[in-house]
Amino acid sequence: MYDKEKKLVDAYLRGTVSRRSMIKGLGAMGMTAATASVLVNASATRALAQNGFDWKKHSGQTVKLLLNKHPYADALIANLDNFKELTGMEVEYDVFPEDVYFDKVTAALSSGSSEYDAFMTGAYMTWTYGPAGWIDDLNEYIMDPAKTNPDYNWEDVLEGVRKSCAWNGRPGGALGSEDAKQWCIPLAYEQNNLTYNKNVFERAGLSVPTNIDELVETAAAAKAAMNGGYGIGVRGSRSWATIHPGFLSGYANFGQKDLNVSDDGLLSAAMNTDVSKDYHAKWVKMIQDSGAPDWSTHTWYQVGTDVGAGKSAMMFDADILGYFMNGGTAEAGNLAFAPFAANPDAAAPTPNIWIWAMSMSSFSKNKDATWYFMQWVTGPEHDLFGAREMDLVNPARSSVWADEMFRDKLAASYPGYVEMHDVSAPGASIKFTAQPLFFDLTTEWAATLQKMVAREVPVDEGLDQLAASVDAQLKDAGLG
Amino acid sequence: MADIARPKPRKGFRISRGLLPYLLSLPALLACIGILVPFFTAVAYSLQRYRLSQPWARRWNWGENYLNFLSDSSFWNTLKVSLTYAFLTVGVELLLGLGIALLLQKRSRFNNFVSIMLLMPLMTAPALASLMWKLMTNPGFGILSYFASLIGLEDFRWASSPQTAMLTVVLVDVWVYTPFIMILLLAGLRSLPQQPFEAAALDGVPRLFVFWRITLPMLTPFLLTATLFRVIESIQQFDIIYAMTQGGPGDRLTVFQVEAYLNFFQSTNVGRSAALLMILWAITYFLSNVFIKNWLKLREKQRGDI
Amino acid sequence: MRHTSTFERVLRGTAITLVILFFMFPIFWIFLMSFQTNETILRVPPSVVFQPTFSNYAALITGKLETAAGSLEINFMRNLWNSLFLSTASVAVGLLLGIPAAYAFGRLKFRGSEDIAFTLLSFRFAPPLLVLLPLTIYFQKLGLADTYFGLIWVYQLIVLPLILWIVRGYFEDIPADIEYAYRIAGHSWFATFRKVALPLAGPGIAAAGLLAFIFAWNNFIFALVLASADKQPVTVGALAFVTASGIQYGQVAAGIVLSILPTFALALYAQRYLVEGLSLGAVKG
Repeated sequence: MYDKEKKLVDAYLRGTVSRRSMIKGLGAMGMTAATASVLVNASATRALAQNGFDWKKHSGQTVKLLLNKHPYADALIANLDNFKELTGMEVEYDVFPEDVYFDKVTAALSSGSSEYDAFMTGAYMTWTYGPAGWIDDLNEYIMDPAKTNPDYNWEDVLEGVRKSCAWNGRPGGALGSEDAKQWCIPLAYEQNNLTYNKNVFERAGLSVPTNIDELVETAAAAKAAMNGGYGIGVRGSRSWATIHPGFLSGYANFGQKDLNVSDDGLLSAAMNTDVSKDYHAKWVKMIQDSGAPDWSTHTWYQVGTDVGAGKSAMMFDADILGYFMNGGTAEAGNLAFAPFAANPDAAAPTPNIWIWAMSMSSFSKNKDATWYFMQWVTGPEHDLFGAREMDLVNPARSSVWADEMFRDKLAASYPGYVEMHDVSAPGASIKFTAQPLFFDLTTEWAATLQKMVAREVPVDEGLDQLAASVDAQLKDAGLG
Repeated sequence: MADIARPKPRKGFRISRGLLPYLLSLPALLACIGILVPFFTAVAYSLQRYRLSQPWARRWNWGENYLNFLSDSSFWNTLKVSLTYAFLTVGVELLLGLGIALLLQKRSRFNNFVSIMLLMPLMTAPALASLMWKLMTNPGFGILSYFASLIGLEDFRWASSPQTAMLTVVLVDVWVYTPFIMILLLAGLRSLPQQPFEAAALDGVPRLFVFWRITLPMLTPFLLTATLFRVIESIQQFDIIYAMTQGGPGDRLTVFQVEAYLNFFQSTNVGRSAALLMILWAITYFLSNVFIKNWLKLREKQRGDI
Repeated sequence: MRHTSTFERVLRGTAITLVILFFMFPIFWIFLMSFQTNETILRVPPSVVFQPTFSNYAALITGKLETAAGSLEINFMRNLWNSLFLSTASVAVGLLLGIPAAYAFGRLKFRGSEDIAFTLLSFRFAPPLLVLLPLTIYFQKLGLADTYFGLIWVYQLIVLPLILWIVRGYFEDIPADIEYAYRIAGHSWFATFRKVALPLAGPGIAAAGLLAFIFAWNNFIFALVLASADKQPVTVGALAFVTASGIQYGQVAAGIVLSILPTFALALYAQRYLVEGLSLGAVKG
């Protein structure tokens, strides 16, 4: 890079020049905005290179990644050149669409393939991969100063998110306990809150609901005002994915759990309490009265598409889904965000979270070099680049959330997003009990919800049946 | 029937007559025989308690996975749903396919073109076709839902309602696979010998009678081949159902492969998944055995007639 | 020929129109969608009035996909090429292996022939999922994972039984006298097979090959599990349009259109064989 440009970029990083004037300045020197972003980051990389860590140790080696088609993966790929320059390493990657991504991961790992060194995953999946012996405990690397650079700053990763990725492998063991193994490291995460269409709310004179009863009412009122659309979008397909977003976030807000863990470590179903039945009844009624007519086939695609196309007035789902729907859609710019606590007596929201994270394959033949990549991609420098320049929201590091430039970017086009995040982040963590039957139980839970919504089974009876079935399966698997 | 391998060639390389057929079929057999290894491995899995997420609990439990099915209501539901699905799809497709084949029977440029054009649904990969059907049946954006509302079905919910979910996936299956049956039967119809039909026409035999007594019996081998391939595929249906409803709503559409897929890829319960698939294999094996026996018998008989 | 009444002609006309409507409407609709942006596709109620755009096709062909969440790289043309290569190669291998075997079963009755034929067909009974996990493990050990060779081998499970069972019928129906006469004239077995049996069964072989091609083309799970991203067919590749900012229906539609085209062209070209060829008794009439 030429001196003049370097100076401009460094001034921008110090905060003496605004982003726009920097890009303008660089543009005058014949550079596009995209090149400018990567340049900005190149200078951050230069700083990283001088922190006394032997970045070139694995120079010339190649690491291969398995990635899910996602903006997080795009951010990673966009910044890859800086990593290559920093370490002299080569990075190859395969990207698979999300619909089939986890099948691909399971197939690769279960066959012991050494093709991929590291891969993207969700925290729930590590509850299978970890005990199966497919992924390594990353504490060994994080805690080893010989392997991890001094600026990695592990404590900077948000505590709830960090701990949600750590589990001791005992069915029912608390996430993030003392003896927990760090199965994966977060890239970014999603909280489940409200995304609503402010035009619809204004037109119908609605205010943002603050508990489950208000949510049911507001959804019904919104539906009436929607003229052919519907009131509230929540997921409904026959899948674990229906349980984990809005539904479980509200459920946990009432202090409800999926499973009980006894003192001697045995698990039993916990979803047929009175409070749970009451919550289920309200949730089911909300879908029946003001949910999507084809709710039972809704995955996050449909929930998001509908709110973006103006077919639904709001959704109780991942905040970043709302973030993506606020651009390039019919309702772009009309969406606003709000934290949501379902329980009127709760002090704050308790969103269940989804985490996209990186895991290291136990079959990798090149683990130390792989760790070099992993500490870079989950490190503060890439997280900041992704958050500022790409769509790596929500970043998993508190230093990035403290970054004014990032906050300004959000505040400018996503009304309420930053406030929503700050309100609900302290209570954000995974609310499920970590155990190997996670997918069996949540899929059955979703199927039961479908039956309730279709009025094939009354809510309390359905929950009792579900609890009985869950208990039987836990026993059968030697867990209950 | 004359055996054409009988005359001994006068010159050149001689292969023993008895060996020739084995030599000819050997490469195909060898290419496929490799599959037996993973197949028997899968049989072994089905006899184990085997969950990838609990490797320490893996052990032989012999028939327990199968025995558990007896008292497992979700298994019986799976069996029922799978058979219903196969019966409905193959039934409708046969009737419709036969009807279309009869319509297009006459050799003409138009008919030929239409028959090729109708193959287009078959060329659309079921996984992608389902994505499009899901969009077309969407209550807001979907053109089919719009049509339904035009004819008074205001709140028709297609795959998302327990009442119409089966109907919807059968509809998609019919759309995709009827052309397969149609093309097999059309070819069959066009190849039938003309004499019996001409004779019947001369005698003024009613056409319905001709259809039942001449066309249908002569077409039976084709019907059997078409049905055989469709039954095998239909009872193993996965793409369409999984893409449209993932087996829902409730447990309405949890056919064998969907259930086994979820058991394997999500729950990583390899033992149960393999046992489910073994049962599916046994059903398919039994059904095709019946079909093929009949097919062979019919062909023998037909050859005798001519 | 019997005289057809006007009533019957109208009835037939109506029926064929309904059939074409049912089967072709979704294709027509997909075709229309491939010229629309997501915004016009997702309208309530749907409408046929729109400003056509070629952006979907442009995105597929150049490999640059613009979405709300930024620009994505896709490799659709590579997927298309993989599909073409995998299907063609599998069918070619399938024909090479299948035709001699079909001839043996259809023509040279031998001890155990029905059993072997049935065994070959029964490979098709095995649900793909059943053999998938062990298969991945063995492929890993044999070094066949992520190779075209390995994929083409596995694809034989799809194409070989189909080819075998359709072609076999043709060989059975070739009058034995023709071959017999040819052999009496002093020709070797192989010459007879090549000069008489093969041409007579030609249409059937073409038709079976085409159907096998379609089924290989539509396969999804084998390639997904057994190969890395650069060997994936269109069936997997088209799912890349399901993105973080929603499903890009326009691109999926354009992808479907592009993926139908090669097969459709092949079918049009082989039209005569396809319709005439599948008749098991082609030479009897």
